Amino acid sequence: MNRQTTSNKPSALSYSLRDIAFIALTGVFCGAIFFGTSLSYNFLAAGMAAIGLGPFANDVLLGLWMIAGPLAAMLTQKIGASTIGELLGSFVEMILGGQWGAATLISGLIQGVGNGLGFAMTGYKRFDKLGLLLSTITGTLVTFGWSMINEGYGKYNFGFILLLLLVRFISIGFFAGVLVYWINKLVEKSGILNRD
Amino acid sequence: MNPSLKLGLVLIISFELAFMQSVIANLVVAALGLLYLLFKHVSIKKILWMFLVSIIPVFGTWFSFYAHGSGDAMHSAWLLSTRVYAYIFLGGILSYTGTVDELLGSLEQNCRLPSKFVYGTLGAFNFAPRVVVTVKQMKTAAMMRGEALHVWSPEIFFKSILISLRWSDNLSQAMVSHGFNETATRTHYDTYAIPWWNWLVAGVCLVGLQFLAFSGLF
Repeated sequence: MNRQTTSNKPSALSYSLRDIAFIALTGVFCGAIFFGTSLSYNFLAAGMAAIGLGPFANDVLLGLWMIAGPLAAMLTQKIGASTIGELLGSFVEMILGGQWGAATLISGLIQGVGNGLGFAMTGYKRFDKLGLLLSTITGTLVTFGWSMINEGYGKYNFGFILLLLLVRFISIGFFAGVLVYWINKLVEKSGILNRD
Repeated sequence: MNPSLKLGLVLIISFELAFMQSVIANLVVAALGLLYLLFKHVSIKKILWMFLVSIIPVFGTWFSFYAHGSGDAMHSAWLLSTRVYAYIFLGGILSYTGTVDELLGSLEQNCRLPSKFVYGTLGAFNFAPRVVVTVKQMKTAAMMRGEALHVWSPEIFFKSILISLRWSDNLSQAMVSHGFNETATRTHYDTYAIPWWNWLVAGVCLVGLQFLAFSGLF
């Protein structure tokens, strides 16, 4: 299936109706895969809460919420795709999951901007390992900064904060980094996107 | 209330709440949110459900600050756990007192969101029930070949991308063939106005919020 309708390459800023529907659909799929998995947030949270490690449930799974953004960026290679992808993804999560409501949208925006910064640092030229690595680092730092304020992480003792940061980086590094890289490799090998 | 204004108001309150250090302010916001839900006749079952799903994260938050907090750990524990309730009821306002169609329609008319974003997203969201079924089908199909697809398997995402590509192609072609034009000015059957009293309510809420934020409550 050839995705290219016009002969000249579309600019990295312009989104067609099809791009938008594609990013939104991928977001819906990511949400459905996440919620369709028996790995339930509350189940994990309950276990961890009982031993005083409640926030770890959040940090262990955070990467899962952040797949849609970098995936959209890697697949469409457009400026701002990760923010749009993540925002649409969080919109879906808000509707499917419902539990966190408006907070989901704000975190979605922050996650998307955080991830997007990494790609921006490469001038939107490196949609590869380097771009992904940078995006996981900026994604971790930006979302952690927000958690320091919003979830009061700054009020824990120092060792606990470091441990939370490490766990979050591993989660985002795996799900929004390694896993997205694997997916993109499958997509490239199959040639379904026919870029360039 | 106009959906765009409601979204903006809830987002501003949620954002500012993150910086506020008052347990009472959290409780006031949560209570007002709950009152609004009751006023809008949201079913008691849904409200009870919101209380229920939040028990675990609230308890988890409280206990972890109790165990690992620094400084005034008790204040942190109460502050952050009551904040969860404030967020849940604010979120409930968005989830239960309006539909996605209304919100997107209003964003298009009141916030000048480009129509391709509005209808592209709306089209994709209408696939949500089919997406859920498709994910189940993919898992079942893989199981028949003796493979288990997990949330960390790239294959399940790859298959999703294949389907997303096909569906987004079909969807955009169908929309264009039904006369959708990305650039033309649209007329609207359902119009969303922002009446004066909406601005008044939003203004009162925001002023009240500043009072809560800067009055130095516990």
